Amino acid sequence: MTRADRFERMIRWFPPRWKERYGAGMVALLEDTYGNEDVPRRARFSMMRSALIERVREFGLIGAGAGANERLRAGSLAILCGWACFMIAGADFAKFSEHWSASTPKQHHALPKLGYMMVQDAGVIGVVVVLVAASLTVPSFWRFARGGNWSSVRRPLVLTTVAGICLMAFTAGIAFWAYGLSNGDRNGGLWPYEVVFLLWCVAVVLTLVLATGAALNVTRQLDLAKRTLRTLSGLALVLSAAMVAIVAGTALWWASESIYAPHFLRDGIGSGVVNSSSTFPLSLVIAGFLMLLGLGIAVTGAARLAPSLRRREVSL
Amino acid sequence: MSKKTTSARAGLGRNNEPPLLILTSLASGAKHGYALTKDIETFAGVSLGPGALYGAIARLEERRLIEPTPSDDRRQPYCITASGRMALADAVREMRALSDVGASRLGLRLSTRRTGRVIANLGEAR
Repeated sequence: MTRADRFERMIRWFPPRWKERYGAGMVALLEDTYGNEDVPRRARFSMMRSALIERVREFGLIGAGAGANERLRAGSLAILCGWACFMIAGADFAKFSEHWSASTPKQHHALPKLGYMMVQDAGVIGVVVVLVAASLTVPSFWRFARGGNWSSVRRPLVLTTVAGICLMAFTAGIAFWAYGLSNGDRNGGLWPYEVVFLLWCVAVVLTLVLATGAALNVTRQLDLAKRTLRTLSGLALVLSAAMVAIVAGTALWWASESIYAPHFLRDGIGSGVVNSSSTFPLSLVIAGFLMLLGLGIAVTGAARLAPSLRRREVSL
Repeated sequence: MSKKTTSARAGLGRNNEPPLLILTSLASGAKHGYALTKDIETFAGVSLGPGALYGAIARLEERRLIEPTPSDDRRQPYCITASGRMALADAVREMRALSDVGASRLGLRLSTRRTGRVIANLGEAR
């Protein structure tokens, strides 16, 4: 590898348009500064940080240069990314909490049930919102594909479809197996099932990541009408509100279960985190972390789109 | 809530932030990336990383405060624009006002003749 190649590789994380504009200058700067020496970690970190900032800027999530349309689109897509985190966290939470009512004294059901219902109902609302939003983009996507642009989105869409079909087959297989097992075998009693279940979880996460990536890729390229963009942004705000309700519901359920049925949290899946209380099982800690991460992304997106939505300054 | 200063409104940030350092460096003539980092290191003692430098260059160019100058080399030089000089002059005036207040409250005597001439020159660019 030549010296120039080494420096070219270092700028690979920057967006293509940025590299086209500033790449040569930056490589020249790196050559002049470091020559044949190793590039210090601080400089590598500075470049990675800048590349991330430029990616986010190009996405339209930061920076004053983005127009109202770009802000609405970027904000809505960021909220969709946040929702992907909630889908994973929600599956984790649902698996962990599925038998909570049997382990909680009946007289103490009110609070955990309220929290659980909040999570469930907000989850359903979120899924409906995403489906409605996806259906609103179908006409634009149809025009886009008929306009000869199919090749630019073919790869992520085909990949997501294949992953979805594989996941459905995997789910059918594991469900068929689980049907013949006892409750104990399904919850830690049979290690081969545990291993396959973990693989299934990984497959779900991968499929979700691919689907979200494909949605971002396609939506960024679509020519959306003014009204559609505003409606999508409104739906994205509803989705953010659903995420807030899910976090509140989870916190309420978790807190009330730790008071009224701590043994359920202690004996549940993923309990026994080192240096933590028994009411902080690993599985729920991961779900909580993902929810907070998703909420953070969604709040950033909402903050980006809300001013443009309020000012009615969308122009095409 | 604190009142935003003129230089903050121009997006130059605080006194030791890359955009202001780059504009100050370019005020003495066009420079490419490496020359900028060396000059900034000399006059401000700040070592800008390649990411921070080019991030700031991109923002300044976006705001039309600097512009690239023609070059046959891969080393792309940049020069300050008229708007860049105005933004820098505003920032320098603000810093001057702050340093005057600080100096008077500390009872310090600052040499003002040279600084005053530099600011006057920057003002003429407007």
